[in-house]
Amino acid sequence: MNYSFDWSALWLHRDLIVSGFITTVELASISLVLATVLGMVIGTCGAVGSRGLRVFAVGWVELIRSVPLLIHMYIWYMALAVLKLPAFACAVLALSIYSSAYVTEIVRAGIENLPAGQAKAALASGLTQFQTLRLVIYPQVLRRILPSLASVFSQLIKDSSLASVIAVADITYEAGALDGMTFRTFEVYAMTLVLYLVLVSIVNRLLGALLGSSMRASRPSPRELSDA
Amino acid sequence: MIDIQNVSKSYGAIPVLQDCSLSVKRGEVVVVCGPSGSGKSTLIKCVNGLEPYQAGSITVAGVEVGARHTDLPKLRAKIGMVFQSFELYPHLCALDNVMLAQIHVLRRSRDEARTRAMALLTRVGLAERAQQMPADLSGGQQQRVAIARTLALDPDAILLDEPTSALDPEMVSEVLDVITALARDGMTMMVVTHEMGFARRVADRVIFMDQGRVVEDTATQTFFAAPASARAKEFLSKILAH
Amino acid sequence: MHDVIFVNRDFLAAGLLATLQISAIAIVCGTLIGAVVALLRYLRVPFAARFCALYVGLIQGAPLLVVLLFCYFALPALFGYKTTAYWATVLSFSVFIGAYLAEDIRAGLQSVSPKLIQAALASGLTMAQVLRLVVLPIGVRSVIPPIIGQYVRLIKFTSVASIISVQELTGNALLVNARVFEPATILSFVAIVYLIVCQAVSLFGRWLNARFSVRT
Repeated sequence: MNYSFDWSALWLHRDLIVSGFITTVELASISLVLATVLGMVIGTCGAVGSRGLRVFAVGWVELIRSVPLLIHMYIWYMALAVLKLPAFACAVLALSIYSSAYVTEIVRAGIENLPAGQAKAALASGLTQFQTLRLVIYPQVLRRILPSLASVFSQLIKDSSLASVIAVADITYEAGALDGMTFRTFEVYAMTLVLYLVLVSIVNRLLGALLGSSMRASRPSPRELSDA
Repeated sequence: MIDIQNVSKSYGAIPVLQDCSLSVKRGEVVVVCGPSGSGKSTLIKCVNGLEPYQAGSITVAGVEVGARHTDLPKLRAKIGMVFQSFELYPHLCALDNVMLAQIHVLRRSRDEARTRAMALLTRVGLAERAQQMPADLSGGQQQRVAIARTLALDPDAILLDEPTSALDPEMVSEVLDVITALARDGMTMMVVTHEMGFARRVADRVIFMDQGRVVEDTATQTFFAAPASARAKEFLSKILAH
Repeated sequence: MHDVIFVNRDFLAAGLLATLQISAIAIVCGTLIGAVVALLRYLRVPFAARFCALYVGLIQGAPLLVVLLFCYFALPALFGYKTTAYWATVLSFSVFIGAYLAEDIRAGLQSVSPKLIQAALASGLTMAQVLRLVVLPIGVRSVIPPIIGQYVRLIKFTSVASIISVQELTGNALLVNARVFEPATILSFVAIVYLIVCQAVSLFGRWLNARFSVRT
């Protein structure tokens, strides 16, 4: 092995690394919020809506999930270029919609698994459908699905690396740039791996601490969430 | 045949068995009874090495169970065990359940294993259910298949750990009938059970355990007519009350 | 507008074939890795189990793209060997999915009740036999849905290989697009192809589960 390590090159360009890191965090956070909102809306439709809405929700989830995230990104960036959206916005849209499919499933399953008596008791006491959702169903469902949502966030951070392909200056993009500048290929990519690992760990631990026992009680099923 | 001498066992600081001794002669049927937590299931699992013990010795057909050099699989091939929860292999049909150990432990050919398995299933009255999966069998049927599975290895003795405790009442007799027939055929058996009627009819001796100790060890008639210890009297009166 | 697909059908078909090939190889290798890692962790083999836990933790915290780039750029640079994009893809994908499969398979193995294992041991089987005849068959069959789910993920992942110019479906589609510039048509077509393939595999998985899952 004739490789001579030189980690100082990374320190020299630390500003690029930091900016890439910040972009990744921004991208993942905004997408998480949008994915959660969209997922809750469609997921609720899928659980309590009319027959047509339920079919739509299932079909929507299958369609979105069966198309690779990269293709989602390209669709927003290239096929819908007529909208003249900046790359970051395209990445946010692609990530949000893709992840919302997983949130939809989680929310739908969460609502359906709630004991049926809850809704019936609420309606019987005179609450409207909407009030029932807001005051009785959502609080309980949210508590139960938080660990799964934490997994979604974790996965989003990793999926966001694909944004580098459509020229969003995240960690992975800057890694490529750094490699081109310094030729310290191993150091650059090793650091990239470590950065994502650290970010994902921090998020997992933070959410674990915030959620406390509810996190430990029901482990999220990572198999429902997927992709690069 | 089975010789248990001064066996003690504890989980950490908690004693589970304290200085237990009993023996089962060839052809004998011994029933072990007692309240929950008395250690009877633990004791029976020590006999075939499923549970380790810290003190004392257990010898089965001359083989010391706890010795470091003992070939446990070989020992277990000679002693069968029937469990409270049947424990049939869920991915195999009844016939395959009875064939598995024959093929992989005794190295019999598939044909010989199949012939013997069918004969045994017929003996326990389940020949027509040979191809069915355990999930499609009732509890009583599963337990009978489990007994056939044990008999398939031509064991010298059979250990039964509460064989009917997990069964609905109407299925208990079909399983007890099979076990009774085994006793009549001279099989050496050690049975942990609450079925006192069955014990009275079939057992040669009754062992009463309480809090990890062997409290009584007497011939069946003596035990039921005049149990020596107060604890045993109390237990019997509660059991026979309903 | 739809001519562009028809005109380039051979090239796109070749891409699809490559996608399926890469997926197949990575699925086989990944499953082998996953099974070995799962067993090592399940049996708590000293040292090996700890190493496997590190491997799983490392991979599960990393994006696939970064693992791919690491295998394609960083490792060859470090060890001074040459590799093709194709094999870097197969290697990184196998290693990547192996970590996830290992966890799913391990969960399956652990779901086999200890009492059943005791019963198997009580009939004179050695631990090795019990693993082979009882734990593995039951454990694996109880996690068919998650395993198939990982396989579907993998097929979607192959699109990422286009980034290092592997000529699979996405890569070829982008090359066609670079020439004729009809992104809407081409990307829709590609999306539909992935949809069909993924749904087909999922359907197969559902049949597999219905046929082979163990009822208790």
